Amino acid sequence: MPEPKPPTAEADMPTTSGETPVELSPTPTVIRGKRVLGVVPGKPVAGERKEPADDDMVMVWPHLLVRHAVATLATMLVVLIIAMLFDAPLRDVANPTLTPNPEKAPWYFAALQELLAHFHPLVAGVLIPGAIIVGLIALPYIDRSTYLQPKHRKVATTAFTAFIIIWLILTIVGFAFRGPNWGWVWPWEEWHGEL
Amino acid sequence: MAVTDKETPPSPLGPEVESDVFDKVRETSVGRSIWRAPRRVTPRDRAASHWASFALHIYPVKMKRKEIAFRYSWYLGVISTVLLGSLVLSGLYLMFFYVPSPNQAYSNVQTLQTEVAFGQYVRNVHRWSAHLMVLAVVAHMTRVFYRGAYKAPREFNWVIGVVLLMLTLLMSFTGYLLPWDQLAYWAITVGTEMAAYVPFVGDSTREMMLGGPIVGASTLLRFYVLHVAVLPLMIVSILMIHLWRWRKDSMLEVERNEPDA
Repeated sequence: MPEPKPPTAEADMPTTSGETPVELSPTPTVIRGKRVLGVVPGKPVAGERKEPADDDMVMVWPHLLVRHAVATLATMLVVLIIAMLFDAPLRDVANPTLTPNPEKAPWYFAALQELLAHFHPLVAGVLIPGAIIVGLIALPYIDRSTYLQPKHRKVATTAFTAFIIIWLILTIVGFAFRGPNWGWVWPWEEWHGEL
Repeated sequence: MAVTDKETPPSPLGPEVESDVFDKVRETSVGRSIWRAPRRVTPRDRAASHWASFALHIYPVKMKRKEIAFRYSWYLGVISTVLLGSLVLSGLYLMFFYVPSPNQAYSNVQTLQTEVAFGQYVRNVHRWSAHLMVLAVVAHMTRVFYRGAYKAPREFNWVIGVVLLMLTLLMSFTGYLLPWDQLAYWAITVGTEMAAYVPFVGDSTREMMLGGPIVGASTLLRFYVLHVAVLPLMIVSILMIHLWRWRKDSMLEVERNEPDA
């Protein structure tokens, strides 16, 4: 690229090296009350057009906020439609003398309840939930690797995925596959899950 | 080639910029007192007016393009927050028609469903929002894990998130008792029996939760107070810290080590 030389004469101004000189009209070009004095060679003011990169910074308003607005509306739509289709359950009035069989905890504790059927209560009711809470809190202080992609942190990803899958299976089994006396039932034959 | 030069009245934003009515309102002295940074022309103006806005103060002014894409977060944090808002609004409506006493709670819910305008519908919204919020919060945590978004310098926000997950479960659990039907009664009986397994303090913890040996009137009152006052205040205040740290941390450079990223 040749060194840009300082403009020496007025005639040099509107030309680019290697191009034919721009012909100026004898009457001044006026845009919104401003006279156009010259045409500057080089890049456009906004810089070269390019594909936006992933690491480019963008304004949160509007780029993120419109996305959040869409997410908000979609969430509300889902809730409003589910609420139209399904009524919240209401069984008979509470009766402390009439114990249902099976007794089921809310679904998010179904995995714990399922564990209680297999282990000593001290293990299933105290040690395992305690270890999960402590483990989750300690996770970022144990896993100090600075890799972000899952493929570069196989140990953490494998352990977490295994935990999620086991917990999911326990929840589904406890919620839908357990009937009277916590015995095994097929959900398509007897349904005991309650939301 | 000359463009006709029409005299236009000077815009308050400068001669080159069209301004609409809203811009003119923002430019008045009252408007300036409200918006502080009324100009909305250059990126710098827009950043300044974002920074001066209360409504936008929970957001950073700029973010990386990749971090605002759907695939980055699936917007699960937003979804959880929206569900919390839905729960607060529908819950406030339900509170008008509910007395936390064993003699009245169940018939209140029946009346709500049959006689109160939109009662059944608002109860449905509350119930399903609660279940969905548990799912959304867990999904949010899972997504943050796989994204590696808990790594330095954001470790402590992950810890706050774990606390918020616990509070979400407690919110849902305490609310589960309030209809005072068989489903509620026995789910809470089973759920609180788990607390009794803790050695030494288990039984006394359970009695403190229940206010007696079994689920009864004082349990209902305690769970109600926790559900409508204590836990919502805790969850909202801790959520504020969570969001504040999210905004602050979004400006930090993450220490990363990606050989082939």
